[in-house]
Amino acid sequence: MMSPVAECLIAFVFGSVVGLLVQRSRFCNTAALRDAMLFKTFRNTKALLVAMMVLTIGFTGFISIGAGNPMRFDVGLNQVLGLFLFGTGMVLAGACTVSTWVKAGEGNFGAVWALLFTFIGMFLFSLIWSFLYWPPAPSAMTGELSIERLQLGFSNAETLQEKTGIPAIVFGLIQAAVLFYIYQAIRRKETKQQGGTGVESI
Amino acid sequence: MDFFRKTLDPVIALGAIAVLDIFLFLLVGAWTVGGGETMMTGLIAQFFIGDSINQIPFWQEVFKPDAGYWKIYISLGMLFGAIVGAVASKEFFWRFPKRLSEWVMITVGGLLMGIGIRLAFVCNVSTFFGLTPELNLGGYLSMSGIIAGAWFGSLIYKRVLEG
Repeated sequence: MMSPVAECLIAFVFGSVVGLLVQRSRFCNTAALRDAMLFKTFRNTKALLVAMMVLTIGFTGFISIGAGNPMRFDVGLNQVLGLFLFGTGMVLAGACTVSTWVKAGEGNFGAVWALLFTFIGMFLFSLIWSFLYWPPAPSAMTGELSIERLQLGFSNAETLQEKTGIPAIVFGLIQAAVLFYIYQAIRRKETKQQGGTGVESI
Repeated sequence: MDFFRKTLDPVIALGAIAVLDIFLFLLVGAWTVGGGETMMTGLIAQFFIGDSINQIPFWQEVFKPDAGYWKIYISLGMLFGAIVGAVASKEFFWRFPKRLSEWVMITVGGLLMGIGIRLAFVCNVSTFFGLTPELNLGGYLSMSGIIAGAWFGSLIYKRVLEG
């Protein structure tokens, strides 16, 4: 068990390296989705897919041997609705949760403004939640399907391994293969766009 | 130093971040931003309204304000790392949105992001760099939502750009 100070220190070091790498690479999660849809350019989309492949193999590999700290909470319709609002918002704001912090660090006042209104949005939702009590608070989560609360319960690589007896890494490798297939399809599309020269865009 | 002169390939940057995220997953939990931002919101609200925050059930039952919450420091670290990168590469300068439409889009976008994160209990980072690689059902639900939302947002963005 790690002390809270050690946890905060590790988080800060991790965040600092992420901030530096994202700033130097100009990676943006919003662009990974928006540019692929609007402009058919995939610079950020490919980076996102590579990260997801590495993470899928890494996380499921460690989950297979009972290591790691996976997130545990009930999921349901609120994830679809919430991320729909979030996805719309990030394209309008031109930044996601990562790029607001990174662009703010570059002196972009628009990003600081977006961050401020993200906080205001969160506070407004806290008021709405205090009337609705939905989605359920962590203490009210059961892990089971609940139609009346529009919750599907909890399921991840750990539960898959428990229920099927198949190591989580097997499912992870299948997901990584699907992500790799999408990555390859994007590369083929890029090569075609460049007239078959095989020169990759930056 | 070349690192601060040239733009880094995002595939290399994200590959490195993914490896670090695996270490973070083993030590405390996967990379996330929304939770830390929520806690900061609670702490800022507590600063302004004091004990009145205890009358809002959300800040008692879902997120009790706590400055020792590790996820806050990921965001602060990202800000620090970005400042270091921007200053060292001479890319730091103040920029302000020029048109009224930009201010409106950023304001509405920020509000939607904040409401969306809290409604979903997750943000884009947890979706792509936490839940989905953990094969969590919430990751797939969130991905379907964010892709549909980004598509819808792109339609609005395109209309504003053309208008």
